[in-house]
Amino acid sequence: MELERLAGVVGDARARIGAASDLAELAAAESETLGRRSEIAVARRGIGRLAPDRRREVGRAINEAVGTLTAAVEDRRSVLQTEAENALLEQDRVDLTLPYGRPARGTHHLLTRTMEDVCDVFRAIGYEVAEGPELELAWYNFDALNTPPTHPSRFESDTMYVEPFDDRERGGPDELLLRTQTSPMQARFMEKNPPPVYVVVPGRVFRTDTWDATHSPVFHQIEGLAVDSDITFGDLKGTLAHFAREFFGVSARTRFVPHFFPFTEPSAEMLVWFNDEWLEMLGCGMVDPNVFEAVGYDPEEVTGFAFGMGVERLAMVRHGITDIRHFYDSDLRVLGQFR
Amino acid sequence: MKVPIGWLADFIDLPTRDPYELERILVSLGHEVEGIEEFGPSFDGVVVGRVEEVRPHPDADRIRFCRVDDGTVTRDVVCGAWNFEAGAVIAYAKAGSRLGTNMDQPLEVGSRKIRGIVSHGMIASARELGLGDDHDGIMVLNDLGAATVDDLGRPLEEVIGLGDVVLDVSITTNRGDCMGIRGLARELAAYWQVPLRDISPSFPTGPETSAFEVSIIDVEACPRFVAHQLDDVRIGPSPLWMQLRLLAIGQRPISNVVDVSNYVMWELGHPIHTFDADTISGRQVIIRRAEEGEKLETLDGVERALLAGDILVTDPSGPIALAGVMGGAFTEVSETTTSVLVEAANWHPPSILATSWRLGLRSEASARFERGVDPNLSALATARTVELVALTSGGVPRSRAVDCYPIPRRPWTVDLTARDVSRLLGPAPSFGDALSLLERLGFGMDRDGRSTRVTVPTHRADVTRPADLVEEIARLHGYDRFPDLVRHGRRGGLTPEQLAVRRLREALVGAGLTEAQTLSFIGQDDLDALGLPCEDSRRVTIRVKNPLREEEAILRTTLLPGLMGAMSRNAARGLKSVRLFETGRVFTARDDPDDPRIPFQPFHLAMVLSGPGVDAFAATGLVDLLARVADRRLELRQESLPGLHPGRGAVVTCGANDIGMVGELHPAAVRKFGLEGRVAVAEIGLGPLVSGSPSWVLEDVSAYPPMVFDLAFVLADTVPAGRLLEVVEGSAGRHLESVELFDEFRGASIPDYHRSLAVRITLRAMDHTISDEEAAPIGRGIAAAVADRLGGVLRGSM
Repeated sequence: MELERLAGVVGDARARIGAASDLAELAAAESETLGRRSEIAVARRGIGRLAPDRRREVGRAINEAVGTLTAAVEDRRSVLQTEAENALLEQDRVDLTLPYGRPARGTHHLLTRTMEDVCDVFRAIGYEVAEGPELELAWYNFDALNTPPTHPSRFESDTMYVEPFDDRERGGPDELLLRTQTSPMQARFMEKNPPPVYVVVPGRVFRTDTWDATHSPVFHQIEGLAVDSDITFGDLKGTLAHFAREFFGVSARTRFVPHFFPFTEPSAEMLVWFNDEWLEMLGCGMVDPNVFEAVGYDPEEVTGFAFGMGVERLAMVRHGITDIRHFYDSDLRVLGQFR
Repeated sequence: MKVPIGWLADFIDLPTRDPYELERILVSLGHEVEGIEEFGPSFDGVVVGRVEEVRPHPDADRIRFCRVDDGTVTRDVVCGAWNFEAGAVIAYAKAGSRLGTNMDQPLEVGSRKIRGIVSHGMIASARELGLGDDHDGIMVLNDLGAATVDDLGRPLEEVIGLGDVVLDVSITTNRGDCMGIRGLARELAAYWQVPLRDISPSFPTGPETSAFEVSIIDVEACPRFVAHQLDDVRIGPSPLWMQLRLLAIGQRPISNVVDVSNYVMWELGHPIHTFDADTISGRQVIIRRAEEGEKLETLDGVERALLAGDILVTDPSGPIALAGVMGGAFTEVSETTTSVLVEAANWHPPSILATSWRLGLRSEASARFERGVDPNLSALATARTVELVALTSGGVPRSRAVDCYPIPRRPWTVDLTARDVSRLLGPAPSFGDALSLLERLGFGMDRDGRSTRVTVPTHRADVTRPADLVEEIARLHGYDRFPDLVRHGRRGGLTPEQLAVRRLREALVGAGLTEAQTLSFIGQDDLDALGLPCEDSRRVTIRVKNPLREEEAILRTTLLPGLMGAMSRNAARGLKSVRLFETGRVFTARDDPDDPRIPFQPFHLAMVLSGPGVDAFAATGLVDLLARVADRRLELRQESLPGLHPGRGAVVTCGANDIGMVGELHPAAVRKFGLEGRVAVAEIGLGPLVSGSPSWVLEDVSAYPPMVFDLAFVLADTVPAGRLLEVVEGSAGRHLESVELFDEFRGASIPDYHRSLAVRITLRAMDHTISDEEAAPIGRGIAAAVADRLGGVLRGSM
């Protein structure tokens, strides 16, 4: 074949390849231009018959042409494949705003979440988490906590007691009651563990309170207790201020004012500045020596601080909830808003 | 306790009267301020006037015509009151003045014609001025000691000294000494380091006459009883200045004697009782405990049944007052009383507390006795009362009081060391500073080597130990001045159990369940609704002695009633698809194995599911999820269970233990909770699911391909699928990777009461590819085991 003719063949073949409008046409064009019966294949087979001095030149030109055309086919194929896939994908279009296949997801109860949040703040600074019984001995709920036998908090107007259910006599400190605070776990924990003690106690507590927007006969508290050889009032303040910043945000300011609790001395109340007002957030104080004595610690050897906070109150303040009944009604429209 | 700032100023020179600054200081001392309110005039334009002339109205019988001098001019005023004559100094509401200005619609006083005579304004009663309830006549200011003719024309509020700010202070139960203006003033005096200006009552006394004889039978009940008699008492209104102070603290003025008692109680924090002395038999007062069955009509007209332990004031005829709580009706001071016996007594706080709470008679007096009153205050309180009764009623005190005080309370001492202070408060304040803080609060000091003997004033019964002194030091030093130190503990992990419970909750939330918190109480009706037979363990309940409602009288033995109630409330609100779970304690009547003094109160996890497509498998699937999360092998033993659909219920087992149940609630129970359709439930004891959570070690995975084959067996309907899986697992050998049940079939080719169950078995070895030749005998072995143990017949071949 003449090299001039070869150039023309290549030009025609490229045009044919480029004109293929789908993969079938491209296959036909490939077969026609590069297949066994194509002019170039025929010419390649005829190289041996050429004069020896031309074989080399013609052979190189034919190989070049084959290479060019093969690349053209591949380019065209790639284009056509992409087009074909695009067409398919276009057909495959769906409306993604249709709510198909929405994975189920429930919510944690806000009280559980709040208790975990509080516990996690204290865990991060090395406090362990313990839980205690809800049906408790008067000893742990009152006596061990330095509450006098005549204190009004023991009255049935405040505390729920239970009727006898077996043949045992349970009077005085052995009387069973629904704990009115998580503080009894202070005494239980110290009885079981020698100092030092760093613990928080979340849990359910009970009072003879009728329902209204801020009272519920069932509610939750978190108790905290730190006992060591060298704990001072400054430790109490700083630790609880740290908690307030972690829970309410870094800008939370706190203020401590004197208060009275039977089981701490000195006692304090922590106020938190939130939404432009000082809110009473928790009670706290240095553990009363009588409590240490009740659990067998030597009040000359150790000091400590204790605190207790209402979980509902924390959640209500932080999340703008104005009615405590939302926590216990289990209305899915409310629970679903908890995160 | 309501605290008018002006009243505080009787006792100390206040550096500030700014109520917010006072609030800040009181709060910093531990006296919470719950409110700040203005006590000011509720009128505008009322002046002091004098009635120059009173004449009958020419055309009316019930009103009179007056000429009133307002200091500048004299005007005609018509008045319907008859309690004054010419010369009376009165509150003259001139035309243009306004009454009731702190109400929404004040009354504008004008000039108007009354029965033909133009009345220029009016003469006002106490009620019209917002100064009490009295509307029987107008306020005669000169009779009330409130104004004289020198005041004519001056604004009334200025003359009578109206206008104060009242702090509402909440006093903690340990601080009985602050239940009076004087006590709070003492706190402020310590804060500001200014002197307390104490009162020293004085009064002229009458002749020596026979005194009352007082005997105390029970000195614990009554450590001290002081009585003082006044004669020639005329009961009438108290002076206006006293009435205004009582109004400011929210007490209604009644009469001079009653008002003085209230006034002194507020001023000194010591309750006072007054008797009509002529009604006491035998001039003898005996203090004793009540005997069971005694009765006393209290001054509210109610006959009270007394219990042993109540403290009584009696005379030889019987009880005359319920000590510290309420006086008796028969000895009450009345309008006709002329002899008054003033009592300032000290009562045993716990007894007063018990009596006042039992009878629902909580009063300002009982609130003080409950907290404890200093017996050493009783003489001063008596003298102050006598002084004021004499002043306001013209009464003549007898020459001396009767003071029965068998064992006087003396100041006690507490030894305090520098270490006592520093180990609780840190390095500041120094011991020296600490002691001076105590001195400011009235504590005495006696330095003795390393410790200091601190003398506690008798009004501070709450201070008996070094820690109590430390609180006083910290309080006056100022809590704000202590440093903020973050105290780190020693470990902050969760126990494996706590972690496992969190994970189980997470898993259920991830699976679309919403966590609920329901009450710990249920009612008998709930157990009935579940259809539990009487021998069911959930019927062994503990009852609350003092429940709020019968529906909440039992401590829950199962979480299901709470959750079912939640489901039915949601259904009633139109939410049909409800998926709830709860974790919480239930209450058994068995002993807690760790503390046999209390009942065992295990944590349960329960779930309830309703809505389209929900059936028992919704719950069994979730139980399986829990098993996987807890890494426990839980199995189901299907049987007919109380409260559940008889064909759709199973016991959940973990090893050899039954730990719960799962299935569909019985349709009858579903209806009892006001619902319809299938309700899937499960309740599991959390303890066995999370206790001693096993550690796990990563198992290596094989690099070789699996060998997968299917086997189908014809089995009697009575063979649970779970048993088939167990047998396959037990017989497939060590290369078994998984077995999965993928088909259940009944049809013509299967005998009656039988079904075909198909399982897909995946084998994989760690060290080689399992060939067909190796798998074939394994398949045969499985088939043989199923045939042998379950009577299953292999349907196809591998």
